[in-house]
Order: sequence, then structure tokens, then C-alpha cells
Amino acid sequence: MLNNEPKIIVSDLNVFYGNKQAIFDINMSINSKEVTAFIGPSGCGKSTLLRCFNRMNDLIDICKITGNIKLDDLEVYNKKIDIVRLRTRVGMVFQKPNPFPKSIYDNVAYGPKIHGMCKDIPELDAIVEKSLRSAGLWDEIKDRLHEPGTSISGGQQQRLCIARAIATNPEVILMDEPCSALDPIATAKIEELIDELKSKYTIVVVTHNMHQAARISQRTAFFHLGKLIEFDETDKIFTSPSEQKTNDYITGRYG
Amino acid sequence: MNKDLLKKRYKKEKRFILIGRIAVSLTIIFLVILLGSILLRGISGFYTTNISLKTNLLEEIIDPAQNKNADEIFKASWRKVSRTAIYNILDDYNDSKNIEKSTRKEKRDFIRLFSRSSEFYVRDYTLKNINNIGEVVTINVPASSLVDQYLKGKIDINLDESNRPISDAQISWINFMVEKKMIEKKFNVSFFSNGDSRNSEEAGILGAMVGSFLALMVTIIAAFPLGVMSAIYLEEFAPKNKFTNLIEVNINNLAAVPSIVFGLLGLAIFLNFFGLPRSSPLAGGLVLALMTLPTIIISSRVAIKSVPPSIREAAMGVGASKMQSVFHHVMPLAIPGILTGTIIGMARALGETAPLLMMGMVAFIVDVPQSITDPSTVLPAQIFLWSDQPERGFEEKTASATIILLGFLLTMNALAVFLRYKYERKW
Repeated sequence: MLNNEPKIIVSDLNVFYGNKQAIFDINMSINSKEVTAFIGPSGCGKSTLLRCFNRMNDLIDICKITGNIKLDDLEVYNKKIDIVRLRTRVGMVFQKPNPFPKSIYDNVAYGPKIHGMCKDIPELDAIVEKSLRSAGLWDEIKDRLHEPGTSISGGQQQRLCIARAIATNPEVILMDEPCSALDPIATAKIEELIDELKSKYTIVVVTHNMHQAARISQRTAFFHLGKLIEFDETDKIFTSPSEQKTNDYITGRYG
Repeated sequence: MNKDLLKKRYKKEKRFILIGRIAVSLTIIFLVILLGSILLRGISGFYTTNISLKTNLLEEIIDPAQNKNADEIFKASWRKVSRTAIYNILDDYNDSKNIEKSTRKEKRDFIRLFSRSSEFYVRDYTLKNINNIGEVVTINVPASSLVDQYLKGKIDINLDESNRPISDAQISWINFMVEKKMIEKKFNVSFFSNGDSRNSEEAGILGAMVGSFLALMVTIIAAFPLGVMSAIYLEEFAPKNKFTNLIEVNINNLAAVPSIVFGLLGLAIFLNFFGLPRSSPLAGGLVLALMTLPTIIISSRVAIKSVPPSIREAAMGVGASKMQSVFHHVMPLAIPGILTGTIIGMARALGETAPLLMMGMVAFIVDVPQSITDPSTVLPAQIFLWSDQPERGFEEKTASATIILLGFLLTMNALAVFLRYKYERKW
């Protein structure tokens, strides 16, 4: 079931916020076309690591990074790479649904438009429809494409954000607690969607919900205090973890 | 829980609410008194008194050559024409009262019931109706401020004759003209179409309005792009370090600098160093721009800061560059706030007098400015000038001009509120 072709390779990664070190010596490789879940208590650095993959941490002035991340052959932290290019290859979905306060259509069309991925309007229409279909949103909103993206429900907004992320045809989709602001029904839909998307994209999900990690991921990484404690197949992590800390966390003894 | 303590707490809350209500009512009362007194004094300034003058447009005075040449007609002795018509009224009065002949002094006093500009009204009428030369026509000329003030009841006639500006004879002449229905009260068009004048009945506000408008245009063209660009750069692009902190502190300081200081700066730089024309809306507007700049920068930064970071992250997440994320996503959301701040800054600039004193914009200027380099004055400076005039008619003009200024300010603030409510987005 698992293929072992690595998509992202992290080596000796350290992240500092000012004088505080948030991530310590992380080495891991994330496999292509499967779902990898990051779990761990709050403040363990899992979101920070996720944001390193598309250099979203660059927005924070005091953030310093040492070590190396490779996306296929591309060195993510090489000074010479084009960040904008990188971010089209690595899409992101955030914790809180954050559609642009523009129409649903414009939300999805924005990425392809600024990257010049389409020649004319019909082509753009096709990309928008395809992305919304892949996000399982097309049938619900196809008549409301020109209503504001903020007018639909929270779950729909989050799927709109997923559609927006896949519209630029990325290779990797990063999801930072994508369901934490949603109700169980909307969560179930997103989980289903993640399961479908993994055939095409490499997906990394940060989640606080261990059941969710168990349901949707093929591999799970457990972080604690900025260190990667254990990283293995999800079944193994949740049934017979090799580390005591992992066991304590998944059985709810601390966290 | 202790019952007394609870009671005390409720009492405290009640007391606080009461004090708050008193404070708000006091504010409202003061505002009503202020606006009420200005309105009461100023509204009458929008009306003026006209006298219909039966004028004989004698051809031998106006157009002796009989060729209806407008240039020559213009140069005719209009004073003679209008004086004759005015004395005719006095003669009618004398006939009705069986008075033989008026003395020179009486004639002089009678003339004073008419605006000094009467002859120009007669002239302009004739030039427009050139075919009426030789006929007797009725022309509306403005009454002097004395008549206007008397009819508006602003002169206390119970005083002794020597202590009031109007004599008994003048009062009976006015009453005679009222009886003959020669006097009418009309909307004061010339107040809105004239520049300043030494005659209060002729003084208008157009010059000051145009001056204010031109100066504000200069201000907005200079300050808006500069302010918004600085705000965007400081908020979105500039690194956060000690140097940018220093800049931020100084912008805040600049907003608190007394406006007269900006006037001194403008005097030294714009007038003395760059040699811009004194009293011009260009120089005045630039000084106001300096003064408004910090306000615009601060309010724009607040507006930009209030755009949630999630929007920026979303834009970055789909691979927008910093500039694209700012101009495609942050700015459309920040613009209403920026505009609101700018309008409020402009309203402040509109009401500003002190820095313009330094730029020589408090001057007696009759002509309506045609361009930003013409000498001109502005609304608050005009109010200041008129309030200084001893003549009674100017008191009313001062209040009327204040109403106009307040009207503009209220309109601008209302526009700011409207923009804020219309375009405010919530998340």
C-alpha cells in the first residue's frame, strides 16, 4: 500500500524564533502521494515544520532556519530559488478557512491568473470547474460562482480553500489543522476529500485530533517539544508505538 | 455574598452611568448653543435687500454718439444716471410730505441708503438690454448694508439718534420706500458669486470657496499618494528595526506638531527657498499637505494593519508575490479606512487657519482665483478677516461664512462615515 518514493527530505533542520529554538535537529522524509499526519501537543513545532515546507515562515522576521529541506531536487532554503515558484508547487490550506473576500470564482481563479496558467477565459473557467469538482464543491455552488466566497458555510469555505490550493496544480498540499474550526459533518467531508486527493498529491496534515490522524494518514509523525519522537506507519504508531512518549500521548496520558 | 457589598456595587454603577449621561447632555447642549447662535446670526446673511430703481436711461448721457457701441456705453457716466434716479425717489418723498427741497446733507444721507455699487448694476443692466436706451426702466439695485440691517431689525432704533448709525430721516425714507413697495428681500446671490469687498452688502464668499477648493486639491494631490505609499511601505515592506521604529515615533510626533509650526516651515521653504507665489493656493495647499501627511500615514497604517493576516497568508499560499498580496488583497480591504482617514485629514485642513496666516493667505483679495498660483484666501481666513471688520454688515457675513464652512465640514465627515459603513467588511 505504501510507496516509498520520497517527496520531501528534511535533514538536520533547526528553527529559531529569536533566541528560542522551536525545532531541534529534524530528519525525516515524506513520501510522495500519501497522507502524512503530524501530531503532538500544542507548541511542539509541528505547524512550524509544516510552514518550513513552503517557506511561509519567511513572513516572520525573527524566524531563523538552519539545515536543509529538499523538495525532489529543489533545495527549499537555497537563497537562489524563487519562493513564488516554490509556493505554486507546494499549496497550503490553513486552520481557519480564509477565502479572499471576492467571488467564489475569483478565489479559485486568482492563483492560475497570477501565474499565467491559462491563455483565455474558457481555459480559466475549465480550471475553476476542475478544481471545484476535485474539492467536491462544484455541485453545491455551481450556480453561485459569483457570490462572495465568504457567504458560504465554514465547511464549504474550507473546501473552497482546498480548491484554491489545487487550482495552481501543486505537487504537495500542506494542511494546517484544516478541520479544527469545522463541525463533525464538514470534517467528515474534508477527510473524505483528503483521501481522494492523495492519489494525485502529496499531503501533509497537522492535526490535534488523533482519531483523524488514524483515519486519514498512511504515516504519522509524533512531535514533542520541537523534537521528532517517532515517525512511522500510522497503524504502527497507533497500535504499537516504539517510544514511551508516543504511547503516553496517544493513550491520552499527557498532551 | 454580602448583601451590602452587592448594593454598593449597583449604586456605583448607577452613579457612573448618571455622570456619563450628564457629560453627554452637557456636550449636546453646548453644541446646540453653538450651532444655534451661528445659525440665528448667519441665516439672515443669505438674504439681502434690493431696491427697485426707476431709471431713465437718457441717451444723451449714455450713448451720445447713438451708435450703441458697448465699449463707449461702458465708459458713460453711470454715476450720473443712477444718482438722478435715486434723487427722483427723494423728490417723490418730498412731494408726498410737501417739503420744498432737500439740503445737500439730506441728499448725501439719502444716497447712503443705496449700495455704492448701484451704478454698476445700472450699467450692467443697460449693457444687457442695449435696445432699452432712451426708455425709463426699473432696475433692481442692492440697498446699502444700513438699510439691510435696519430692515432685519439688527439696529436698535430706541437709542438716541446720535448714538445709532441710522438717522430719523433715513428711517422715514426707508419706510416711504417700503410703503411704495420698492423694497424687496431676496436670496443673496451675490454672496455666492462675489469675491471679498469693502462694502459688506457686496462682499461674497466665492473667492474664499474657490481658494479653499484649490488649496485642498493641491493638498490631496500632494499628500494622498505620498501618505498611502509611505504607509504601505512602512507597514508591509519595511524591516522592523530600530530605525523604522524611530521613523514611526517621529511620524506620530509630527501629527502632534502645532499647525503654526508647519506655517513657519512652509514660509521658510516654499516661499523663501522655492519662491512660490505668496498667498497662492499652491503654497497654502503644500503646507496643508505637510500638515495632513502624518494623519494620512497613521490612519492608512491602521487600516492596513486591521486587514487580517490570514488574507496575506492565503495570497502567499497560492504563490502571490508580496506586492501582489498587498495590491490585490490587502489594499482593496484597507481602502475604505484609508479614505476615511484622508477625508478627516482633509476636513481638518479645510478648517485650518494658522499655517495659512504665515503663507499670506489672510489678505484682502477681491478677485476670485483662477488658478493655483493666483493670490487667494480660504474660508476660515475669510471668516477671520470679516470678524475683524467694524462695519455691522460684516457680523452677519462672518456668521454666514461660518455656516458655509461648517456645512462643508459636516458634508466631508458624513462622507467619511458613509464610506466606512458602506465598504466596511467583517470577518
